[in-house]
Amino acid sequence: MSALPRFDGCSYRYPGADRPALAGITFEVGRGEVVAVGGEVGAGSSTLLLVAGGYAPRLLGGALEGTRACAAMRPAIVFATPWTQLTGLYQTVRGEVAFGPASFGWPRERVLAHAREALAQVGAAHLAGRDPATLSGGELQRVIVAGALAMEPDLLLLDDPAAELDPAGADTLYALLARLAATGVTVLVATPDLDRVARVASRAVRLDAGRIVGDGPPTEVLA
Amino acid sequence: MRAAAQGFAASWEGVRAGYGGADVLHGCTAEVAAGECVALLGPNGAGKTTLTRLLVGLLRPRAGRVRVGDWDVASRRPDEMARRVGYVFQHADQQLFARTVREDAAFGPRQLGLGDGGVREVLEELGLDDVADRHPYDLPAPLRKLASVAGVLAMRPGVLVLDEPTAGFDRGLRARFVAAVRRRLDAGVTVIAVTHDLALVATLAQRELVLEEGRVVSDHRL
Amino acid sequence: MIGYLPGRSAVHRAHPYTPLALAVGIFLLAFAFRTPGAVWLVVVAALAFAAMGGVLGAVLRPAALLAIPTWVLLSVLHGLLGGPPHVALGPLLFSVPGGERALVFGGRVTAILLAFLTVLATVSPGRLVEAMTARGVPFGRVYLLVSTLTVVPRLRVRVRQIVDAQQCRGLRLGGSPLARLRALGPLVVPLVLSALAEVDEQALALDVRGGSMAGGRTALDPPEDRAPDRAVRWVMLLAVVAAYAARFLGRGP
Repeated sequence: MSALPRFDGCSYRYPGADRPALAGITFEVGRGEVVAVGGEVGAGSSTLLLVAGGYAPRLLGGALEGTRACAAMRPAIVFATPWTQLTGLYQTVRGEVAFGPASFGWPRERVLAHAREALAQVGAAHLAGRDPATLSGGELQRVIVAGALAMEPDLLLLDDPAAELDPAGADTLYALLARLAATGVTVLVATPDLDRVARVASRAVRLDAGRIVGDGPPTEVLA
Repeated sequence: MRAAAQGFAASWEGVRAGYGGADVLHGCTAEVAAGECVALLGPNGAGKTTLTRLLVGLLRPRAGRVRVGDWDVASRRPDEMARRVGYVFQHADQQLFARTVREDAAFGPRQLGLGDGGVREVLEELGLDDVADRHPYDLPAPLRKLASVAGVLAMRPGVLVLDEPTAGFDRGLRARFVAAVRRRLDAGVTVIAVTHDLALVATLAQRELVLEEGRVVSDHRL
Repeated sequence: MIGYLPGRSAVHRAHPYTPLALAVGIFLLAFAFRTPGAVWLVVVAALAFAAMGGVLGAVLRPAALLAIPTWVLLSVLHGLLGGPPHVALGPLLFSVPGGERALVFGGRVTAILLAFLTVLATVSPGRLVEAMTARGVPFGRVYLLVSTLTVVPRLRVRVRQIVDAQQCRGLRLGGSPLARLRALGPLVVPLVLSALAEVDEQALALDVRGGSMAGGRTALDPPEDRAPDRAVRWVMLLAVVAAYAARFLGRGP
């Protein structure tokens, strides 16, 4: 049974930063919950995702204080800029999506099956054989999300995942998040798309200058 | 706001254009009146960005004609078209190079011989005055993008082309951006927006052109 | 410049380590030999390598563009400033031993350029990743090598985007040498800054997808390392050893 993100008086400071990016964060997320993370640019939403997944300070350095229990066995994170998340090593979308699960050393068939399923989940199965360099922004964003899903995460962290998607694509993505949550995946999504996220999130937290200033129903907290 | 140059009409007549061996636009015809705001919609690959690149001379038509006001774009270089058309690229922050936001915003106006005068105004308008003396790469990506927008608005273009302008903006930045575009529309600048942001379309656009497979399939007033 | 060009030649179909070994072998042989004749045989071998890969036409131009400045410099340094005997070439006196040295150094540069450009054009980055993963090479080293091989095509795309954006801000390309020099800042600085910013982001993106994980990665489609591939690499190794042995014994050309 995986532990879920739980913060208790948590603060995080990036390496060399004057002030903490997160300060006094106390909250926890339930299994299978979809939580929206809101806040202006610089409020700490992206940082919260990085800390929740254990990527900061492990990969980024910096200093973490307080208690952060988020030993989720398999977190996966999608950043806001899809074009920087391509490995650039593969001539096919299939290869790109399989990159993450291949890191686990799973058998080949399992890796490929997960990649296929992930592409189907985001409505991009038809892109499997395409060269990633030829994809449009929207197609690329779907592929990056598929790359995260292929890792079979139990904690999915998304930073503005629909920024490049057309309206139909964005609807599909948020509906997918709701379906994943129903299977027990915990989802944290930072996004300015308040309308869509409010439809699928049971809860929202709002950040301001690294502190939580609101925690409750999305329609109240993010309005 | 210092007055923009007059708005210009833009038109594409029977335009065929593309990249490499393939055409993306197949005999595309469309017109935007001076001072109008038109949204270009359509699925990925329909030709929206190709249509806008033709306006600034980054792409030459293989057939047909593209005009901005009385200028035939085929006879102009992109740096000449910059006098009439301001293009906000989707990944606009890739063009930032100066040591401060203010210096970078002044680059375009200086190239056009407009001087620095309007730069401070534009930075204030977009709420960038308190970061004006910072290095652009010290700012988070959404603010870098807004800084790039400032650089284009400071050139006082008569036609503003926006390619996915609000992607990555939070509510606050979006509001600043929309207000700035609204002010220019009110001053008579022509605006052409390629966007998936339907809320932006609803706020600003007077007309919607839908492209599919390189042709205009729908053109209606909003 | 050049990047991977898909094809069906014997070099394309070979195990990725084979063209790499051939290029390294050509590099080593070029330095093992000291006479113009022997070095230019290595150049001929590099040309044959490119021809076998079906990319001779594609690599000749970039190789020439890169080699010409070196040739000019060598001709001046060794040919015009070298010692006697001299031979008259029009109004200039050209040093014979200097000319030979220029041919040797220039030949080495030419052979190496041809060989490595052929590797860039014929080795698919994806196949190389799979080949190295199947051999258990840590991902960090895989990424370092493959991203180096693909840096030019990636930078070319970015350069295009930056040139477009700056022209749309009124930057005029061309013109006087001074104007061209002044245009470099707005073109080169954003290239470097945005590339560096992206390197940071991409490193993190790779790490979060398990790029820095210990333990073996699954190779999904490892290229077959057939007997002919291994034979070619062995022959190249023996040729290099023989060349250096001959040089060490004072018998090499």
